[in-house]
Amino acid sequence: MTKVVIDINNVSFNYGTVPVLENVSLKIYEDEFIGIIGPNASGKSTLLKLVLGLLEPDRGTIKKYNNECKHKRHHIGYVPQHITFARDFPITVEEVVMMGHITPASKFFKFNKDEVASAKQAMQALEIEDIANRQIGALSGGQLQRVLIARALVCQPNILILDEPTSNVDMRVEEDIFSLLKNYSEHMTIIVVSHDIAFISGYVDRVACLNRTLVCHDTKSISGKIIEELYDAPVKMIHHHH
Amino acid sequence: MSEFLIALTEYTFLQNAVIACLLASIGCGVIGSYVVVKKISFLTGGIAHSVLAGMGMAYFYNASPIMGAMIAALVSSILIGWINLRWKEHEDILIAAFWSAGMAIGIIFLSRTPGYNVDLMSYLFGNILLITGNDLLLMLLLDILVLTVVLICYKLFLLSIFDEEFARLHGINTEFFYILLLCLISITIVILIQLVGLILVIALLTLPAAIANQYVTSLYKMFILSSIICGVISISGVAISYAPDLPTGSVIVLLACASYFISVFLKQFSSQKASG
Repeated sequence: MTKVVIDINNVSFNYGTVPVLENVSLKIYEDEFIGIIGPNASGKSTLLKLVLGLLEPDRGTIKKYNNECKHKRHHIGYVPQHITFARDFPITVEEVVMMGHITPASKFFKFNKDEVASAKQAMQALEIEDIANRQIGALSGGQLQRVLIARALVCQPNILILDEPTSNVDMRVEEDIFSLLKNYSEHMTIIVVSHDIAFISGYVDRVACLNRTLVCHDTKSISGKIIEELYDAPVKMIHHHH
Repeated sequence: MSEFLIALTEYTFLQNAVIACLLASIGCGVIGSYVVVKKISFLTGGIAHSVLAGMGMAYFYNASPIMGAMIAALVSSILIGWINLRWKEHEDILIAAFWSAGMAIGIIFLSRTPGYNVDLMSYLFGNILLITGNDLLLMLLLDILVLTVVLICYKLFLLSIFDEEFARLHGINTEFFYILLLCLISITIVILIQLVGLILVIALLTLPAAIANQYVTSLYKMFILSSIICGVISISGVAISYAPDLPTGSVIVLLACASYFISVFLKQFSSQKASG
């Protein structure tokens, strides 16, 4: 737990004139399981997108493996919060998982043996083998979430990033998914965004509390006062809008 | 029907028509599937109608209308795509503007062209019975072009259409594939114009694929099934329209619409039965 894999240094980001993140600094270490929590609109998803390289910071830098952004994208597996695709798309579970292998150099439609094998492995790990040939529209929320995690795992990433992975599933599935992630975290850096601090603190090594700025980043010291600080203020702010 | 079959053995123009249906079905099934899953049928309609600008100019300058159509389709698809990528929130207005501007330009050029050209009607509404051997060759070449691109880029198209964000994360240039898809759509429109005309092209690029989408679990299966559906519908259209001498393009489109509604109805009925 010494090597820094992601170094977020003094990052600020605005959507137009609206500040979303201000002076966020956070070091994430190898094989760490870190939770990022915070109220709605606290910039959690934005921070992930900056780390992924889907957005560029207005100020500050994000280094991955001590390199500049962009380059090592394929080392990162990503499970999005919102399903950005149409559920009636004609595609099977297996085909979605296989997408984890696609790179700009992919041609035609066959996948090689290694790719097929690693997809099988990922599907086995997430217990979705038996629905491999089902069309994605026929899945439950929990099953779909497992498919997306399998897709992220299939390219054997060093870092796995999940944005609210359990927002559409019930408690039991939530527990399943987190204990699975706990297993993976032994040899993988995992960053998970959540708004449910009580639940994730049982699994993660460390919690970073985000509300535009980073409020704290140490699990042990999270007290009621900090949570109040984190959640109360924005609730009042939301009332102003009404 | 038997009258059609006898005529089919005798007349080259009917044989050409049937071959044209088969060739058009390939492009129509493959590209139509993309149009349906990406939900860009309105945009496709816009490109199809803006083709009239190119045809009008081609008539005016006495050039080949089909080349005019091809250039106009490519230009308008690249323009629509490029503006759309930078101005997403006004997509429908943008399409409406291209749609009507294209037709208006076409009509202005046509009004300045001396004499009234009967051929123009066949480009607007199609006249499959006038298709020549050269037309078939052009259709075949365009089909090969479209199929080659689609086969080579199958995975990349699939990912960038299915999940754009994930595709970008994997370093895929989704904007390039979006524009490339629009170009393939415009080539297919030119193939289909000979069959049903530019006004009715949108029916063949959406309805057979939409029917297929109800029964398949994978995109490549959708290609195959919608090509078959498109072939059956268009050849049936030729056969049905032959004896009573009805406009073939219109009959094909009506058949496609009827098939779509029947298949939606059957699907609804069977799923209700299954759940009830």
